[in-house]
Amino acid sequence: MKHLFLLTLLFVGFQSKAQLFMTTNGEVSFFSKTPMEDIDAVNKSVSSIINTATNEVAVQMRITNFVFPNKLMQEHFNENYLESEKFPSATFKGKIKESVNLTEAGTYPITASGSATIHGVTRPIELKGTIVSTGSTLALTCQFEVKLVDYKVDIPKIVFAKIAEVVKVTSKMNYTKK
Amino acid sequence: MKKLLLFLFCSTSLFAQDDLLDMLEKEDAKKTTFTQATFKGTRLINGQTVETLAKQHLNFWISHRFGSVNSGFMDNFLGLDEAKIRLGLEYSLTDKWLLGAGRSTIEKTYDIYSKYKVLAQSNKMPVTVTLYGGMTTNTMPSGYTTSSGNVMRYQNNLQRQSYFGQLLIARKFSDKLSLQLMPTVLHNNKSESIYLDNNLASMGFGGRYKLTNRLSVSAEYYKNIVDKEDYEEGAGTPYPYQDSFSLGFDIETGGHVFQLHLTNSRGMTEKHFIGQTLGTWGAGDIFYGFNMARTFSLEPKKK
Repeated sequence: MKHLFLLTLLFVGFQSKAQLFMTTNGEVSFFSKTPMEDIDAVNKSVSSIINTATNEVAVQMRITNFVFPNKLMQEHFNENYLESEKFPSATFKGKIKESVNLTEAGTYPITASGSATIHGVTRPIELKGTIVSTGSTLALTCQFEVKLVDYKVDIPKIVFAKIAEVVKVTSKMNYTKK
Repeated sequence: MKKLLLFLFCSTSLFAQDDLLDMLEKEDAKKTTFTQATFKGTRLINGQTVETLAKQHLNFWISHRFGSVNSGFMDNFLGLDEAKIRLGLEYSLTDKWLLGAGRSTIEKTYDIYSKYKVLAQSNKMPVTVTLYGGMTTNTMPSGYTTSSGNVMRYQNNLQRQSYFGQLLIARKFSDKLSLQLMPTVLHNNKSESIYLDNNLASMGFGGRYKLTNRLSVSAEYYKNIVDKEDYEEGAGTPYPYQDSFSLGFDIETGGHVFQLHLTNSRGMTEKHFIGQTLGTWGAGDIFYGFNMARTFSLEPKKK
């Protein structure tokens, strides 16, 4: 009897787990525009989970997975700016403010507030985006800006003109039910 | 009842935000993450590193070795009055495979080589392994006297060729420390003296330690495996060559790598710095030198 009880509980546990929507190949790209040079990089293996029961969101990406058109830039980005050896990942965790039921098909403009950790620095952040739900999949698009100085990313004065102080970040993720 | 509570607690805690991140971390740990920039440049000091260039990039190397610091102030301005030069180009066909060529002042030598990264260090692989091999051609007039005092006469062009092969094994231990092993074989088609073996095996040790993001110290040592007594018995003179040891600084400034160093080797190809190092640190036969690398991206712009 006791075992049955435990089994039921386990089952309940799994059921609630099915509220998770996940992706491991989300895209995050950023763009920095200056008179000298436009820099863009994309990371196509971003992991993210949305828990539709609580509307909590978590995003994690490896800094080394950002691909630049110029490999020298990529090396500097990792070695000197984001110091990916010390701080291998950037993360976001937060909660969707609107009370929406994402398991119902539809298009939802959302605001997620939480904290972002980049370069080892954690700061509160609010992200605006759109989620398109089919009931079994979620597609999230979101755009925001990151001020480099906020996350203590040091850009040496000589290359200052080459890198904008604020970079535009775009993310596109397609979640499937886990 | 206690159990029930425990379970409820467990299943609710599954949805705490940190646990979502933990789940992501577990997912990410399954993916392969490659270690980047074990060394700043494709060269450590005289020898090579495991690094290759990104696809379709061109590296231009300019290397100088000044005269020895013990060659006198008035006579030679501590060696700065004269310099031996090597100019070299490297081009990468893929992210793992590069081809290179160079010309050295020493023995008017041309060198060509190829380097291929076989294994790359990642969260699943402890080391980077690169194969390196090539050949040098000595274009001195026949009958010249070598730096060790032997007279070299060539009967044909084949005798002017030397070959080298190297296995480079490196590990980036932390963001600061990278160490490398370089087992090496050298073959000269013609040796300087009948008592000198045409083949030479050497074990190289090297490493770098980053002081800041752009500045690192590096060291390189090649222990040659030779029977010096055997040579002395035959030739009646001491074995002329020494092991190569070098110390240096790497300064990296976006697109350039500057390497400043002190070394007892004046040559800049494996044949010379491993096989024909004459000076010793103890005697002050130290050469100040620098390597400069400029990397050009020849990748077509993607749009």
